[in-house]
Amino acid sequence: MKFEKKQAVWAYIFLLPSLIGIAIFYVIPYLMCIYNSFMGTGGFAGFDNYIAIFKNRAFLYALRNTMIFTLIAIPSLMIISFLIAKFMNSFKKISAFFRSAYLMPIVIPAASLIYIWQLLFDDQGTINGILNFFGIDNIHFFSSGFSMVMIILIYIWKNCGFCVILFTAGLANLPNSVHESAHLEGAGGFTTTVKITLPLITPTTFFVFLMALINSFRMFRESFSLFGTYPNENVYFLQNFINNNYNNFNYSQLSSSAIVMSLIFIGIMLAFFMYERKADYME
Amino acid sequence: MKSKSKVKKYLRYSLLIVLTLIFLLPVFFMVISSFMSTKEVSEMLNFNTGEFTSFKLIPGDFSLEQYYRVFFRNPQYLKEFWNSVLITFPTVICQLIVSSLAAFAFGKLKFPGRDKIFFVYMILLILPIQVTLVPSYFMYQKIDLLNNVMSIILPGTFSAFGICLLRQNVRYISDASIEAARVDGASYFKIFFRIILPQIRGGLISLALLTFVDTWGVIEQPLIYFTDRSKYPLSVSLSAGSADTQIIFACGVMFMIPALLIYFLGEKDLRSSFTRI
Repeated sequence: MKFEKKQAVWAYIFLLPSLIGIAIFYVIPYLMCIYNSFMGTGGFAGFDNYIAIFKNRAFLYALRNTMIFTLIAIPSLMIISFLIAKFMNSFKKISAFFRSAYLMPIVIPAASLIYIWQLLFDDQGTINGILNFFGIDNIHFFSSGFSMVMIILIYIWKNCGFCVILFTAGLANLPNSVHESAHLEGAGGFTTTVKITLPLITPTTFFVFLMALINSFRMFRESFSLFGTYPNENVYFLQNFINNNYNNFNYSQLSSSAIVMSLIFIGIMLAFFMYERKADYME
Repeated sequence: MKSKSKVKKYLRYSLLIVLTLIFLLPVFFMVISSFMSTKEVSEMLNFNTGEFTSFKLIPGDFSLEQYYRVFFRNPQYLKEFWNSVLITFPTVICQLIVSSLAAFAFGKLKFPGRDKIFFVYMILLILPIQVTLVPSYFMYQKIDLLNNVMSIILPGTFSAFGICLLRQNVRYISDASIEAARVDGASYFKIFFRIILPQIRGGLISLALLTFVDTWGVIEQPLIYFTDRSKYPLSVSLSAGSADTQIIFACGVMFMIPALLIYFLGEKDLRSSFTRI
């Protein structure tokens, strides 16, 4: 790349506010966090904090749950949104009302809806009422492995509409001829989707994935609203571990677990990135 | 043949309606419940009656009691609502300014280190808030920003998300129009205001909407940075269980109205701006 000096100078002027802010509020805290993760009460501690957290049962639970949530909720969300987007696109004309309705959940703050979820999912809630009517045993959404199911359902409910919009936009940009020619060659609906549609909308898929990942961190708000500071072991996430260590003033463990958490997400993103060279986020 | 396609048509429309109901009903019930009397709410939220709770399509006992109590009996909620406003509006405005400037640089200008810097931004984009929460706490302690709304506004202003979103929009602007302006001797600031900003209007509105919703629902930061409970925004007291459950639905409705209003204003742009991703 050849640079024009004047342009480069102006570019940095435009970038300056953001660079300063990002450095102060994100880069420096992150570096501080790395530093703290290697420090103990008696000075430099090497990897001791890391070894300690991997021997800590609470941390292992938190790590396991966070991984389960990320690996199940995000793919499910993406698949469901894609299917709904295809379904919506299959209508020749569709009122904008439906798309607006789907997008609504993302603007409803977590705190507003807690009691609605409680009414739905409680041991004496509506869902159990319906199950009971059909002679099925109670599901303890607030105190069993189903807590995770509940959190994942709420996550999908909340983010689905947004991902549908992204996918619908990506699908709408595809030229019609692509599908027609595939159809002429005798490819079925499923084959066309997997072999032709999906590769063509990879930039969209990448963006949806990114949004799904970012929004998965925000699920802590729902979890906190529903379960408080000490949720049951099935929905005890890394965020809870970090928060509780903060309350106990255990900053070394807190920092090392925060670093582990960030490395996991960076790893997941880089993996997707490698797979996803076509996306034009980086040239 | 004809009847078969008709059945299929009905099935498709029923599916569409069922899906729509799934997305709308929780919000709908929330609004319905806000018009119940406090007595009815207490009964509904009593899970120890031995019977299963059910949702009511119409309040059995229509009343404005909850709203009356929120607005005239508990000034605390209006105060917290105002705290939310004080945090959210500055964040949205500052974020729009900073992000659009940076997005112009990343999207249209050439400078050394551009791709490397942007890569760092991408990494920061997926850094969960909890990672920097506590180190930031110590930093704010040193510079005396605890219990100050700035401790939420400033990090919110400089989020990498807005830059990535707007950059995509900026990249769709044709180079020719920028070249032409430069040949005419327009400064970069003029190009930014006259060419870039008008053309990324949709992206700016989407970003405003998403940032608004995100900041409006903020929970983690105030819990850690604010020791002074009177500074808590409504999002915290609604979710930390400190709110009065009898009027919780009216509070929730009051809380979601600003987000919904902004959503209805910007929703079209939200949908159209993402066709460019």
